[in-house]
Amino acid sequence: MDPAGIFATSFAHDAALVRTRPQQIALALFLIFLLALPILFGPRLLAISTLILISSVIVLGLQITTGYAGQINLGQAAFMGVGAYTTGFLATKLGLPFWLTIPLGGCSAALFGFIFGLSAVRIKGFYLALTTIAAQALFHFFVLNLPWFGGSNGLTLDPASLFGFAFATDISIYYLCLAVAALMTYGAYGIVRGRYGRAFVAVRDDDVAAGIMGIDVVATKATAFLVGAFYAGVGGGLWAYFVRFVAVDQFTLFNSIWFIAMVIVGGMGSITGALVGVVVIKCIQEGFVSLGPSVVSQFPSIGGDVVFALMNVFLGSVIAAFLIFEPRGLMHRWNILKRSYRMWPFPY
Amino acid sequence: MFDTIDFLNYLVNGSLVGLLYALIAMGFIVIYRASKVFNFAQGELVVFGGFIVWWMVIQTGLPLFVALPLAMAVSAIFGLIIERIFFSRLVGESSFAMVMVTIGLLILIRGLILLIFGPQVRPFPIIFALKPVIIGDILIPRSLLIGAVITVIVGLGLSWFFNNTRAGLKMTAVAEDHQVALSMGISVKRSIAFAWALGAVLSTLGAIIYLSGKSLNFLASDIGLSALPVALLAGFESIAGVLLAGLIVGAVQGLVTAYVDPVVGGAVGSVFPFVIMLVILFIRPTGMFGWRTIERV
Repeated sequence: MDPAGIFATSFAHDAALVRTRPQQIALALFLIFLLALPILFGPRLLAISTLILISSVIVLGLQITTGYAGQINLGQAAFMGVGAYTTGFLATKLGLPFWLTIPLGGCSAALFGFIFGLSAVRIKGFYLALTTIAAQALFHFFVLNLPWFGGSNGLTLDPASLFGFAFATDISIYYLCLAVAALMTYGAYGIVRGRYGRAFVAVRDDDVAAGIMGIDVVATKATAFLVGAFYAGVGGGLWAYFVRFVAVDQFTLFNSIWFIAMVIVGGMGSITGALVGVVVIKCIQEGFVSLGPSVVSQFPSIGGDVVFALMNVFLGSVIAAFLIFEPRGLMHRWNILKRSYRMWPFPY
Repeated sequence: MFDTIDFLNYLVNGSLVGLLYALIAMGFIVIYRASKVFNFAQGELVVFGGFIVWWMVIQTGLPLFVALPLAMAVSAIFGLIIERIFFSRLVGESSFAMVMVTIGLLILIRGLILLIFGPQVRPFPIIFALKPVIIGDILIPRSLLIGAVITVIVGLGLSWFFNNTRAGLKMTAVAEDHQVALSMGISVKRSIAFAWALGAVLSTLGAIIYLSGKSLNFLASDIGLSALPVALLAGFESIAGVLLAGLIVGAVQGLVTAYVDPVVGGAVGSVFPFVIMLVILFIRPTGMFGWRTIERV
């Protein structure tokens, strides 16, 4: 809902992402903040920010598959792994540059996701969750047993480079991830507002009704997996260049559940919600990691495993609590707040 | 060289392991059959049951005939607590919410087990004698054989309960549709509570058979995922069917592990259940004996 006094007078205005002057200013300030972030933050926070950017790309994909098209996907980490391994393989074995390997990684992940998405043609609900869990298991098996991926040793990458400039420092890789994440976010807004996004929402809400309206339900579901897995693959490619080491245990079912928790916390069916979820969950996760050792040193009796255990307890409770108390996530809360201050002093 | 005795050994042992999977899968099915919730946290319930038994027998030193019933009672209460905290609030919610809550539960129980019992590997009490049973030239672990007998008895008993008694049929109605069941005057909450108590007890039973004389830590929950294809092959509504499905999956997996793994040089045996799962999902998502009213496009 727009604030009072804002009326769209042209289609271009109605379709615009940024609609009011305050929104423009807020967006500009936010972008300036992101660009200035390496100056403001120390190396540890910078690394966390880079991780947040990479996770955002992956979670955006999951938001499109699960939040918009309503297809449960517990294999997002496997799709990310396919992208990371493809990127790593192309970069190390064939020596391709990063601006080719990352999109190609996305494409291979999209293909992998598409194959599993085809099962969504016949089944839905938890049956689909089973299929994507199987994707996770098969991914592990293939990576460990096919000869090209270094088996359990993983792959080690050289830094990404462009015209002789190597993205070897933390700051340069941060800017690379920022550029890709911004592009992918813009793309996600475009997808969900366009024809395909509206088809996704229609299929999510009622696939029979969507079919009657003339939407090709099967193709839409498969497309949702394709797009979601492409995002995961691009995120995986960024991950490969950020960590510069790809191993199979970086892409487990557990990671997939983290990603889906980010979507649930942020709010299903909202691109901004996906970004909010990533930031909130990642910050709390890093909080556990960085506060953990100091707590353990204060109370040596509890031992270092407690941090991991507590993280599990936190993740499990957060998923359950949000689904029980606020299934529409933080974004819904924010929208209620926004609506009420725009309406103030009128109650409705 | 092909060896008939080896082949029979692999076949029989595989089938018995399959029946163990069937017992775990029965936990999935009982919960689904009485509440329409697909419980991904089944493996964690097994580990929880295992730790309760370990704690009672090894730490507290109770004799087995006291400890085992007590452990089952404790796990039944645990199941009731889960139902009360999570699922009584979710009656009539979408299957996405249900599935995601059980996945949250998986992570949560794992964290709690790590917090309470720690990640160390513990020795599990020897409940069935370690000496294997030898029939002809075939060597069978005693725990698996006794377990198979228990599984078959429990499976047929539960199947009779759900298909022939009034209480069982009420729960079947809940699995069909929460709203319809409510409008017929059936208490959905009570049905779900019973399902979780029963599912937890079955998991503890599974833990006793699976872990007897082995070691126990939180990673034992992997058996929950291994049991998935069995439940899927049977169809999620059929309790007796799961026995047959367990035999098939177990025998095939045993043979694949024995004959294909050395050729490929990898863990085909461990990934094979997932291949079976995918094939079933693509070809016949209802499984062998499932109801045909599956959610389908």
